[in-house]
Amino acid sequence: MAQMIANAVSQAGANFVESIRLFLPRVVTTISIVLAGWVIAAVLRLAVRWVLGWLRFNAACERAGLAPLLKTADLPQADVLVSKVVFWLVWIGFLLSGVDVLGFTVLQGLVASFVLFIPRLVVALGIFVVGLLAANFLWRATLLTAVNAHAPSPRLLAGGVRWLILILAGAMALDHIAVARTIVLTAFAIAFGAVMLGLAIAFGIGGGNVARRFLERQFPGDRPEPKGEDVSHL
Amino acid sequence: MAQPSLLPDELVQELMAVGQVDILVGIPTLNNAATIAAVVKAVHRAFARYFPRDRTVLINSDGGSEDGTRAIVRDLSMDEADTLLMRHSLRTVHRISAPYHGVPGKGSALRQIFAAADLLQARAVVVLDPEVTSVAPEWIQALVTPVRNQGFDFVAPIYARHPLDGPLVSQLVRPLVRAAYGLQIAEPQAAEFGCSGRFAADCLEQAVWETSLAQYGIDLWLTGHAMAGGYRCCQAPLGPRAVAPGTNRPGLAETFGQVVGSLFALLEAQEAAWIPRAGSEPLPALGPAPPPPGESPPIDGERLLQSFGANLRDLRSVLDAILAPDTETALEEASRARPDRLRFPDELWVATVYQFLAAHHEGVMRREHITQALLPLYLARAGSFVLQHAAADAASIEADLEALALQFERAKPYLVQRWTRTTPR
Repeated sequence: MAQMIANAVSQAGANFVESIRLFLPRVVTTISIVLAGWVIAAVLRLAVRWVLGWLRFNAACERAGLAPLLKTADLPQADVLVSKVVFWLVWIGFLLSGVDVLGFTVLQGLVASFVLFIPRLVVALGIFVVGLLAANFLWRATLLTAVNAHAPSPRLLAGGVRWLILILAGAMALDHIAVARTIVLTAFAIAFGAVMLGLAIAFGIGGGNVARRFLERQFPGDRPEPKGEDVSHL
Repeated sequence: MAQPSLLPDELVQELMAVGQVDILVGIPTLNNAATIAAVVKAVHRAFARYFPRDRTVLINSDGGSEDGTRAIVRDLSMDEADTLLMRHSLRTVHRISAPYHGVPGKGSALRQIFAAADLLQARAVVVLDPEVTSVAPEWIQALVTPVRNQGFDFVAPIYARHPLDGPLVSQLVRPLVRAAYGLQIAEPQAAEFGCSGRFAADCLEQAVWETSLAQYGIDLWLTGHAMAGGYRCCQAPLGPRAVAPGTNRPGLAETFGQVVGSLFALLEAQEAAWIPRAGSEPLPALGPAPPPPGESPPIDGERLLQSFGANLRDLRSVLDAILAPDTETALEEASRARPDRLRFPDELWVATVYQFLAAHHEGVMRREHITQALLPLYLARAGSFVLQHAAADAASIEADLEALALQFERAKPYLVQRWTRTTPR
């Protein structure tokens, strides 16, 4: 009996040592992959920053109006942000590869899913960046046009245009990566409808005079031009 | 030589029938039926009265008028007095109307007129604005004579007008062009001008005709090309310039964008010519002295100023990218005064214009947005100047405009320094 127990314990010990012997190289491999991944990601981060610096990416972002948005959102400069995104994408890829080597059943297939996810994430980021650019361009165009047309509340008007486009771009990006798709779409539809209805009611109740003035300006008929407008600046 | 595609076959046939000419008057038109007859008559009177021995032709280049403008030009009959006058002319009076093709705008019309002048080897070319109702035969004489008799290549007009008239010209275009090119020209973007056949032929060779500069700022470009290219330039006093009331001209925002955008684009294109120049010298004015300026124009200075403070607050995030912090602070301080006491000093206005021009060169944002952002500041400067000089006589206003022009010249090194330290994006 005692011999049997001793054999079982000995067998269990041997099995444990054997599994440690088999597992340890995997751990070492995982650590190596993670460390190598970190080094590669860091090198890539530096390379991306150098290339973006050479391309004067920050200046382009400044010109497109992205830089002030990043500053407002307390985010780093555009080249730092892009290089950080590249670093984390690459390192997470290596991290998942390393974990995959450990052979945990529950984590099996994570790498494959991540690899499949990356293109969708990149496209979603692209959608959002294009949305940011369009939002900023239209914000500035609306602001300048409204100021020069003496329209009431130019900042409110331009800000509304910017946020509408940002929300639209955000909803499109989230929909593309299928994050809470139903909630995003429903929330967007409700919010968009509410904003439009609110604007229509507000304009109808409070902006009747503005609407009349606008229509009169557009279709002047036989009315004389407002004073001062007929004076030539040339 | 003229490019064949600029002149349709029918037009070439008509031009060949005319043969070589001494003087060519060109009138670009687009729906000018209401005013074109008076301009055509003035041209023919000028031909008969002042150039009876010269070979002359009037060419109307039309942009597709739908109101019968071309028919009026072609079929216009002279009244009895004109017919008697025409008999003094020793030459046949030629009048041609043709549509132009290509990019819509005055640039294409002028290109066709210059191509016709090149083909006919015209010695002097005059271009007139069809919407001006005060055109007199003396205008054509004044614009032709310096070219034909004295060998000048470009003749800019001097209009008799009150110094408060045309604030966009007096506050921005004129002093900036003067400081840049070093020549004191009164009307840098006049629609009427005279030039030599040599100048017209050289203009045809330039790569400007397909650009937006030709579409919206060809008058400015021609002046700039004459001054930058070392051509002999002079001015000719013409008298008051009156435009037909109700003429379909664009609104202030559009006009300002076109004029200032063209001016900035012109300086961008001709940087090599204007950067090395310093100071300025007067441009000779030939012909009789202009009559005294008329009445002060009905510009409401307070109205121009009324939204200045609010506009500055609204545009702060845009102006941050264009103006230096001290300029922005000075503008904000100025905007806090009551409209009737608001002052926009020369130094501040010149610094503002130069910083906008530098920002345009650097391309800190879309260039149309830069010129749009300057409009509220221009209105404030114009309003402040008008209010400040409401009770002043013309001579003292002229003196203050001269002081402004000198400030533009004094501050030019700052512009050149900012301009040359950056390459455009």
